[in-house]
Amino acid sequence: MKRLPPYFRRWQNWIGLLLVLTYVFLAVAAPYLSPDDPKKPGPFMRVGRAFEPAPLPPDEKAVLGMLPLGIDIYHALVWGSRDALRFGLIVTISTALFGVIYGAISGFTEGRVGGLMLRIADSFLAFPPIAGVVFLQQLFLATVSALGGFYYSGVIYSYSDTQIKATLIQSLLETINPLMLSLIVFSWMPYARLVHSIVITLKQTDFIQAARALGGSNFWIIRKHLLRNSTGPAMVLAARDVGGVVLLQATLTFIGIGGDSIWGEMLALGRNWILGPGGSILTYWWVFLPPTLAVMLFGIAWNLFGDGLSDLFINR
Amino acid sequence: MPPFLQFVTRRFLAVPISLLVITMVLYGGVMLSPPEARATLYMPDNMPPRLTEEQYKKIEENIIRRYHLREPFPVQYYYWMKSLFDGKWGYSPSLNEYVLPSLLRRTPATLELAFYSLLLLVPLGLVSGVAAGWRRSGWFDRAFRGLAFLGTSTPPFILAIILLSIFYINRGWFAPGRLDLPYILEISEGNFISYTGFLTVDSVLNGRTDILGNALRHLAMPVFTLSIYHWATLGRVARVSVLGEEKKEYVIAAKARGVAERKVVWRHVFRNTLTPSLTSMTLSATSIVTGVFVSEIIYDINGISGVILEAMEGVPDAPAALGFAMYSVVMVLLLMFVLDVAQAILDPRVREGVLKT
Repeated sequence: MKRLPPYFRRWQNWIGLLLVLTYVFLAVAAPYLSPDDPKKPGPFMRVGRAFEPAPLPPDEKAVLGMLPLGIDIYHALVWGSRDALRFGLIVTISTALFGVIYGAISGFTEGRVGGLMLRIADSFLAFPPIAGVVFLQQLFLATVSALGGFYYSGVIYSYSDTQIKATLIQSLLETINPLMLSLIVFSWMPYARLVHSIVITLKQTDFIQAARALGGSNFWIIRKHLLRNSTGPAMVLAARDVGGVVLLQATLTFIGIGGDSIWGEMLALGRNWILGPGGSILTYWWVFLPPTLAVMLFGIAWNLFGDGLSDLFINR
Repeated sequence: MPPFLQFVTRRFLAVPISLLVITMVLYGGVMLSPPEARATLYMPDNMPPRLTEEQYKKIEENIIRRYHLREPFPVQYYYWMKSLFDGKWGYSPSLNEYVLPSLLRRTPATLELAFYSLLLLVPLGLVSGVAAGWRRSGWFDRAFRGLAFLGTSTPPFILAIILLSIFYINRGWFAPGRLDLPYILEISEGNFISYTGFLTVDSVLNGRTDILGNALRHLAMPVFTLSIYHWATLGRVARVSVLGEEKKEYVIAAKARGVAERKVVWRHVFRNTLTPSLTSMTLSATSIVTGVFVSEIIYDINGISGVILEAMEGVPDAPAALGFAMYSVVMVLLLMFVLDVAQAILDPRVREGVLKT
């Protein structure tokens, strides 16, 4: 019998892969699984009466029940996984790319400069992304109001007739949301540290010395040998991070600090019915359970997937 | 200088460097906005209530000139750093007061929560992780791995929802906030002297055990929420660092000399796991501080995060946001430093200067 690749020797890794594939499937097939309302597209589709204050239990109109105001839970759940996957992948891929390149350069230069680069990376470890989100948002709001306007749910209004001129921060935050930006700026350090230490040990090995003896340029050695040998461990870290950043996004959305996780918003919308007076997670279980399970399983999926990758790349 | 002090000073000297780097990045962020927005960082508190547009523009222009807000980055950065030492950190329109005093006033509530959580999670995490790793695949290890898996895969805010709905709404055993309303009123009347701002300490100093009990009743849920997640992560690191340790020579030697196994584990093996475990905690200090803020907001504790909560809904408030960012960086650095010192105290290799970290 042919031996399975190391990834498939533990059942946990199977579950991880299966869950990740499920989320990928949900994300890709969202338009088919739950078509948008053509008149009002968006993750929060109204299927019940618009002025229904109470969440309604599952029935034939809404398979998983409704949030307050007649919002379909199934629809938001499916589109939420598309959103979560996109967010997680964009953030981790950009942080990993930047961190790996930074770490490769700092490890390769070593000495004073490399040490200083590592010191700078360590300084970034002291900055909680939650503060970055708030900071960027407030800066943006202050900019809009200083230029004579105000911002309300995605649109900039002006007090006078004059058009508000676009500023640097405005164009930046319009293309990339503040949470994404602050997570990318403040979470690349683990990759840099990891790759830095890998590169330092690799530099002593014979094959790098050989590459050098061949007359290979620094850039060529970094690209061809050092980066290629550190992708495995970096991918393990990245896989675990995908879950982590999505959990953080949902958390910040739920507490109303920023971010626009659809799952987090679902919980925030139903909050009064599970935590308000007379609310209960047992009575209104369909408000609480679907988004909670979606968030938790997403985290578990990527963690198990990361463990599997580490079986594949690190402890083979 | 003894090695221990050397270690501590070296770690302490790293703090200003980190602060310098972070403040540069922060001010770099501020530079993304136009000078008119930057001027709000320096607005005085005694602005007249009704201003025409010309008057406001005049004040704004004055500030821009005074703090050199149209100059290049280094100049502006210098003037901003200088302004940080005035002890005000800008006037916040949503708080109606200066940012730094407001932050300082809220600090004890945050510190109390963080302190009790760390007091619970660090010893528990280390001890349970070591005990689990020593007898690999034993019943304790299996139970530990299961619980740790649950702990890391339950996001704290979801745990908070579950706890609140069971123990507050349904059972009424614990409650959010810091105290029950009658006690809050009593304290605001002024018979209760606030020595430290820690309600649990102050109540003992005032001889009021009923307030102590009430404060603990309010602390229970946030402390538990905060501890569980980080207990699991810390315990896992401790467990992994113990695996394979029983085959090391020092353990075999100690056993051969007839040292009891219990003593081998808790005297020798335990100490060797401290450095990797506490280092991993230092690296995730931001996630602990973020957890503190999240717990505060969900459990309605008016700590440091209260500064930004009001800013998030209402007038744009750049000073509060910038002050909050600065202050949370200071808190993270403080936590990292405390963990480093704890490591130095507990690990004899650091104390004797054998281990250069």
